[in-house]
Amino acid sequence: MTLFAALFSHYRRHPLQLLALAIMIVVATMLWTGVSHLTYQARASLGQSEQAVAERQQVVRLDGQSVAVADFVTLRRAGVCVMPWLEVQRPDAQGRVVGVDGLAASCFAGAGEAVQAWNQPLNGKPFLDIRDAAALTTGPDDRSAELTLLVAEQVTQAALPEGYRLTRFSLGPDTGELGESFLLNLDALGVLVLLITALLLRSVYQLGLAQRRDSFALLHRFGVPPVSVNRLLVLEMALLAGLCVIPGVALGRLLAGLLGSGFGQALDNLFDAPLYAGQEASWLSSILTMMAVVMVVCLIDLIRPASRAPVTLLAGQQRSLALAALLLGLVLALVASSLVLVFIAVALVFVGAGLLAPILMSGLAQRLARAAPDPLKRWHFAEFGVLARRLALPLVALQFALAMVLAVQALVTVFEATFDEWLSQRLAADFFVEVPAGADTGPAVDWLADEPELAASGDWQRVVRGKAELTLSGAEQGLESQPGQSVDLLAVAPVGRLLTQWRLQAASDQPWQAFARGEGIMINEQLARRQELAVGETLNLTVADEALSLPVLAIYPDYGRPAGEVLLNAGLLPGTFKPGFESLSINPGNLDMATVVSGLQRVWQVETVTVRNNERIRELADTVFDQTFLLTRAMTVLTLILAAAALLIMGWVFFSTRVWYYRLLAVWGLRDREVAGQMVRLAVSLTIGIAVLALPLGIWLTWVLVHRINPLAFGWSLPMAVYPEFWVELIGLSLVIGLSIAALMRRQLQQPATMPASAGSLSGGDR
Amino acid sequence: MTFCVRSIHFPLFSRVLASFLWLFLAVGCSGESEDSGFAGLAESQQAGTDVPFLQPGPGDRLKFPEDFGPHPQHRIEWWYLTANLENQAGEPLGLQWTQFRQALTPRPANATPPAPAQWPLQAAWMAHGALSWRGQHHFAERLARADVGHAGATAQPFEVWLDDWRLSRTRESGRWRLQVSADNWSYDLFLRLNGAPVAHGDRGFSAKSASGEGSMYFSLVDIAIAGKVTIDGETQKVRGKGWFDREWSSQLLKTGQQGWDWFALHLDSGDKLMAFRLREDGSAFTSGTWITGEGEAVSLSADDLILTPDADAEATPTRWRLQVPRYGVDLVIAAPPGDYRNEGQYPYWESPVSVSGSHSGEGYMELTGYEVE
Repeated sequence: MTLFAALFSHYRRHPLQLLALAIMIVVATMLWTGVSHLTYQARASLGQSEQAVAERQQVVRLDGQSVAVADFVTLRRAGVCVMPWLEVQRPDAQGRVVGVDGLAASCFAGAGEAVQAWNQPLNGKPFLDIRDAAALTTGPDDRSAELTLLVAEQVTQAALPEGYRLTRFSLGPDTGELGESFLLNLDALGVLVLLITALLLRSVYQLGLAQRRDSFALLHRFGVPPVSVNRLLVLEMALLAGLCVIPGVALGRLLAGLLGSGFGQALDNLFDAPLYAGQEASWLSSILTMMAVVMVVCLIDLIRPASRAPVTLLAGQQRSLALAALLLGLVLALVASSLVLVFIAVALVFVGAGLLAPILMSGLAQRLARAAPDPLKRWHFAEFGVLARRLALPLVALQFALAMVLAVQALVTVFEATFDEWLSQRLAADFFVEVPAGADTGPAVDWLADEPELAASGDWQRVVRGKAELTLSGAEQGLESQPGQSVDLLAVAPVGRLLTQWRLQAASDQPWQAFARGEGIMINEQLARRQELAVGETLNLTVADEALSLPVLAIYPDYGRPAGEVLLNAGLLPGTFKPGFESLSINPGNLDMATVVSGLQRVWQVETVTVRNNERIRELADTVFDQTFLLTRAMTVLTLILAAAALLIMGWVFFSTRVWYYRLLAVWGLRDREVAGQMVRLAVSLTIGIAVLALPLGIWLTWVLVHRINPLAFGWSLPMAVYPEFWVELIGLSLVIGLSIAALMRRQLQQPATMPASAGSLSGGDR
Repeated sequence: MTFCVRSIHFPLFSRVLASFLWLFLAVGCSGESEDSGFAGLAESQQAGTDVPFLQPGPGDRLKFPEDFGPHPQHRIEWWYLTANLENQAGEPLGLQWTQFRQALTPRPANATPPAPAQWPLQAAWMAHGALSWRGQHHFAERLARADVGHAGATAQPFEVWLDDWRLSRTRESGRWRLQVSADNWSYDLFLRLNGAPVAHGDRGFSAKSASGEGSMYFSLVDIAIAGKVTIDGETQKVRGKGWFDREWSSQLLKTGQQGWDWFALHLDSGDKLMAFRLREDGSAFTSGTWITGEGEAVSLSADDLILTPDADAEATPTRWRLQVPRYGVDLVIAAPPGDYRNEGQYPYWESPVSVSGSHSGEGYMELTGYEVE
């Protein structure tokens, strides 16, 4: 018998252990591949969504008629790079779809402008081939369909044939840094998943190793040096990793595809058809990463044998160390002034929490065991303590996974709500009417104010955008006076429902009333953070050479905008102010929008007025971003399923090693039913216990992501929210896992007994 | 001229492009052009229609001027012009214009096309333009859907267009004008057509394999060209001779054929020569047409024609030996130094060539299905 065969014979005798290790490598690889694949897809999807809603330019007819196929042909045959964009409102609540012509879009790509948004599968969410979109209409005169001709960015007015002009076209406002923030958070969570994967692997490997110690000792007695054994262990691990990682990667991709985009696309995914434009995450990098992780986490003890089994050896020191790490991390997260420090804080808290959780559980169990008068209860708590110690790694992995799932769920929900709020804030009114260049807003404002129907049932406001100079008063701030600093200026009047529904982060008493009277200004969060301004402080502004000194009435969230902004009552604007952009936001109420438009055309004496339908924009932007959120939700589910599966396997394997010991319960006189009850109690209290310990960690992680990492990275915060219904779901899941382990144990206890492998197994191992 | 199916589950845009597996373009579909794949494409695209694609056969005849226009019941066709020109300083300049039509759904020639407002997708068009001068090769590609007016072709009056690129007859009979403009180059040429169309193969049916696959194929081989070429803002007058091809089919290559070497040569003796070779594993199908100075065309079979790539050639053989023993022809054909690959959706080589040996002359060479170096 060769040495390798001798070493491997352990697994011949205990095939279940080999199977558990193999399954764990497959499962862990699957988890990491699946999550990283989904993250990758979410990233690509977000990029495309942002690109799809980015502002572009379009060609319209000078005579005000809507464009038709003939105009598209005229422009293309004149050499202008335009593509058709057919929006169709489907009946009932099916929403809007957009038909595009991928062939016509190819000239956009050549102009250095990416067209990936429609280079993806045109599957009607919301993009589809323009033929299919046209088929949904009743004909060219269908009012529910609207054709737009998008034009490449480099096309100038001079290049257009007579009878056409360029104008802006947008499907939604610029998402700014909101998207980048989302991606940063996804990356942070990706790192966490790798950590969870490593923990799962290490736990199962160590469990196996502990069971093989007897064989190693035997080999040593036969004169085999430990170096040879170690060398063979490396070889064995490399073989096993090679055999398990590749199917794991394939399964992870398949699962990610299944969760992310339905079965048909999942198969395409597996065979590398481009589900999304851009580079596909490669197989090789997934395989190599996981091979490396498997080898390192399993064999690190061979490199540093001194650090083996710290849990049992240094319990006291470890507890103080873990507590110190936890406290240091918590404090650091509060005071850290840089991203790196916050990440270190997160690492410290996780290390601390991970070390403390099993100690806490077993410590508590020991105390309860000592206090319990009933011997069976005492046995229960003592056994619970042993399990918490021996199952420390998988339990911590489940704790981290649960915490991460909690954070991902909160974060995704928060982001969804934020996108929604961000859209609401920017698209408050149903329609935007652009003030034509050179036209005077005054008569239009008078006309709108005099329209009785609009006053009764609708809302409107004049919106002016421009620049202002900011000067912080040195005396008040106790700082040196800073030179004039340019900030964005948003001036609005009259102050009505469109404005007062904004959410405010901090405000003085009755801020909107004071704002309407022109007694102060509001600033966005970015400006408040940058200048360390609070409500009540006075801001000195220079608007078109006129100095204004007004108190800050409120601070409003302004997600994703890199710049600081001041909100001013437009009534305070000096007459000499030159707006950068001016528009009217209108909710027509009972009034027909066509009446409003024709009224404005009359007042301004122009043939065409550019009107943006915000409801339409909002609906499409929502549809476009939905795919991204679908993917991140899939990520949550995947993490949870696999962490649960891992704990189930681990729990089962570990409980199995103690089967003989549990049989003693029957020997002591307990009936089968009572033994099963003990199993249920043990398994469930273990899994519920860890879920309860995961809650504070998950909530803290959510807080760090939205309140610490985001402001440090981007200068603005996300709203924090917790979702207790989801906690209940998680605890419910832990209960199911616990019950499943107990059920498996019950089956095993009913099978005929075999001889224990050693006397230690009989006496309950390390008790 | 090969069809291969990469995947029928492709997203629409890619699917249209993938089915633009034009001619000459075996590149990138190694081992995938199986019988089932080909039939699979046909099935997937023809589902729900009773009209089949027409397949040219030996009995088919050419019909003028109709055959200058499109053949909507054939899967694939193209209009193709190459020109060997020189500027006023006598420097050689080569150019190519090709417009392809690829049908996704066959439609009888007399059927009414769908309304443009439906944005139909029964066929797609692709245009290639290239300009070769002083060792530099400029190339541009355009795509469009058929039947909306964005791209198309008509026999009477003759016009083929896509965007602002177009080949059309002028008011004068026997005269055409070709206008093509890309980002930093353009050309505007006037063509004088001499002589009648030359039918290749069996009175227009050009076999592409021993087992009977083939296409309808005719050429205008004597075209005098004069016009202007602009490169990087610099305009120069050019003149020279051109070669125009019309070809259509529904299945050109049989499966297993990997690529294609094609030559159109103007010999200084006044004779013209077209020759092509379709490569398959370990063998090739060779064919050609010898056109005398008087315009008489003789089909050349594999026995008449020997085409040999230069032994020292790299992956894409840019030097060739062409022999037609029956006419005492033994030519060396060579591309000028430079890289003449058209780097479009499916790259292929398209270059002017010089002819030496038993005859001197010039012409064009197209090589497809070679590995991209």
